[in-house]
Amino acid sequence: MAILEIKHVSKLFGGLAANSDVSFEMTEGMIMGLIGPNGAGKTTLFNCITGYYPPTKGEVIFEGRKMNGLQPDAVCKLGMARTWQKVRPLAKMTVVDNVMVGALCRTNSIKVAREMAMEQIRVVRLEHRANFLAGGLPIGERKKLEVARVLATNPKLLLLDEVMGGLNPAESEEIIQLILDIKQKGKITQMVIEHDMKAIMRISDRIVVLNSGEKLAEGEPKDIVSNPEVITAYLGSE
Amino acid sequence: MKSIHPLTSIRGASAVQIMFGIVIIAALFAFPQFVESPYALHMMILFFLSTLMGSSWNIIGGYTGQYSVGHAAYFGTGAYTTMILLTTKEIPPWQGMWIGMFAAVIVALIVGSICFRLRGPYFVLASIAVAEIVRITALNLTDLTKGAEGILVTDIPPFKIGELLITDFASKVPYYYIALVLALAIILVTWLVQHSKLGYYFQAIREDQDAAHSLGINLTIWKNTPLVISAVFTSLAGSFYAIFIKFIDPTTVLPLDLSVQIVLISIIGGIGTIWGPVVGSLVLVPLSEALRSNVIAQWLINSGMVDAESGTGVFLKEHLAHAHVLIYGILVVVVILFMPEGVMGYVKKLAAKKKGGEA
Ligand SMILES: Nc1ncnc2c1ncn2[C@@H]1O[C@H](COP(=O)(O)OP(=O)(O)OP(=O)(O)O)[C@@H](O)[C@H]1O
Ligand SMILES: [Mg+2]
Repeated sequence: MAILEIKHVSKLFGGLAANSDVSFEMTEGMIMGLIGPNGAGKTTLFNCITGYYPPTKGEVIFEGRKMNGLQPDAVCKLGMARTWQKVRPLAKMTVVDNVMVGALCRTNSIKVAREMAMEQIRVVRLEHRANFLAGGLPIGERKKLEVARVLATNPKLLLLDEVMGGLNPAESEEIIQLILDIKQKGKITQMVIEHDMKAIMRISDRIVVLNSGEKLAEGEPKDIVSNPEVITAYLGSE
Repeated sequence: MKSIHPLTSIRGASAVQIMFGIVIIAALFAFPQFVESPYALHMMILFFLSTLMGSSWNIIGGYTGQYSVGHAAYFGTGAYTTMILLTTKEIPPWQGMWIGMFAAVIVALIVGSICFRLRGPYFVLASIAVAEIVRITALNLTDLTKGAEGILVTDIPPFKIGELLITDFASKVPYYYIALVLALAIILVTWLVQHSKLGYYFQAIREDQDAAHSLGINLTIWKNTPLVISAVFTSLAGSFYAIFIKFIDPTTVLPLDLSVQIVLISIIGGIGTIWGPVVGSLVLVPLSEALRSNVIAQWLINSGMVDAESGTGVFLKEHLAHAHVLIYGILVVVVILFMPEGVMGYVKKLAAKKKGGEA
């Protein structure tokens, strides 16, 4: 069964169609890559899926349940968690406290939340920063913090918005390994927005390409790289 | 790389700190046995009251980051409810205060439903507007509030439990103990907030509402919760003030001035910390007393810095006592420039630097 179904989703900002009639499905355990030139509407689609905005038209179905009208907190509780392209650390709280906020979505106990948080902090390898203020971290560690924090909410579906953006190759490789490890464990389905083509081709089972808000193509990585329309969209946008 | 400050707040107090706390609390309880001066007791009461008001605001303003500049509304609600019930229905204050707290919850939920749709400066303006509406309402509902004339009581009925007389409010001592207990209660509440899910959620909202929302935090519930806690204790402060001073009117318990002062207590001491409002009160209460009694102008003249007969001297003597708003303004500018996180933040930073230097 599909864990997530996107059905004819459109999002208008005034006259601008940031998403128009986008449809696709995700099966449990897969990694879906979401690519497209700048301004293609990838982040907007995440926002529509997670309840940050209601879609203008169409619907989002998660585990068979219609999500339209649900607020982001309800969406998170149902098991869908997203990271932010422009990272949003809780600056004056420590790394462990940031991650605990995520964990507290599943428990009322501070003690349990701290254990859950430390577990995810180890997963992203930020142990050495646990007691540092999040606002002071360099970008690579902020991206990891975003991931640890959403992992702590114990999601079934993880939406990662350019978690490798602005990272050096070594850091990107770490994130790639992390995404692959999550897949390996088999509990979490992932949708990944990424500009780095090599990385996205490596990790994705399937890829959806957006261009000017519309779905341009969908398929396995090897089909996407050789798709002439996709090539034109990318070259045309340069 | 940008410098990173390790967390310096302490989880779980050390034995020394607990001992220190116990000694201070014991000393505060013993204080009236050794000091009889009504003036000293009065100052201590004002200090406790200020701590209560500042700490109450700190929960919504400091921890949750919703800068309400309308807390006079809750203070006034408590004060008026208690006084009206006492004068018209002969309901004693220790019962009236509960009804005052309940009324404050209602006001808070109304304020929340209007103001929490707004963020940042818009929220601040809305909170001011609502408090002004409450003040103008109190001014005009003359049947109930006696309007600008205010409400005066001469006697507070003795506090009895069954037949047992607890106090007849004949001196400042009972007020001292009530205020002390209220101040300790709000410090305890703040501690409990900081060390529970509430504190994490409040602070997450302060740091980034959208991030908090996406991490499963229902913003409506988790912004109204701290507002209600804050309003309840601010209302208690108002009830206490009313029976302590025995007179209230809209210009003493509902003005914008008061809302601003409540905010300043935390800002000067350090927002979002347990001890910030205590430290802020230690600064502000003596300062406002010095301004009120004109000791500053006297001191400037006596020390020879300003000639009493000169234009400046006359001006200072006449106006400095009324210049508290100006002085507070200057104080806020100084704090924002030199200690943006208040006295507590400044002390913490110094401590962190020292620790970092040793490491
Ligand atoms: N809140 C908004 N109001 C108005 N327009 C918006 C809003 N959010 C996005 N847009 C517009 O919608 C279009 C799609 O933006 P979106 O951020 O979804 O693109 P993206 O594919 O994530 O791009 P990038 O790769 O640069 O992150 C852009 O033209 C953008 O300017
Ligand atoms: Mg984007």
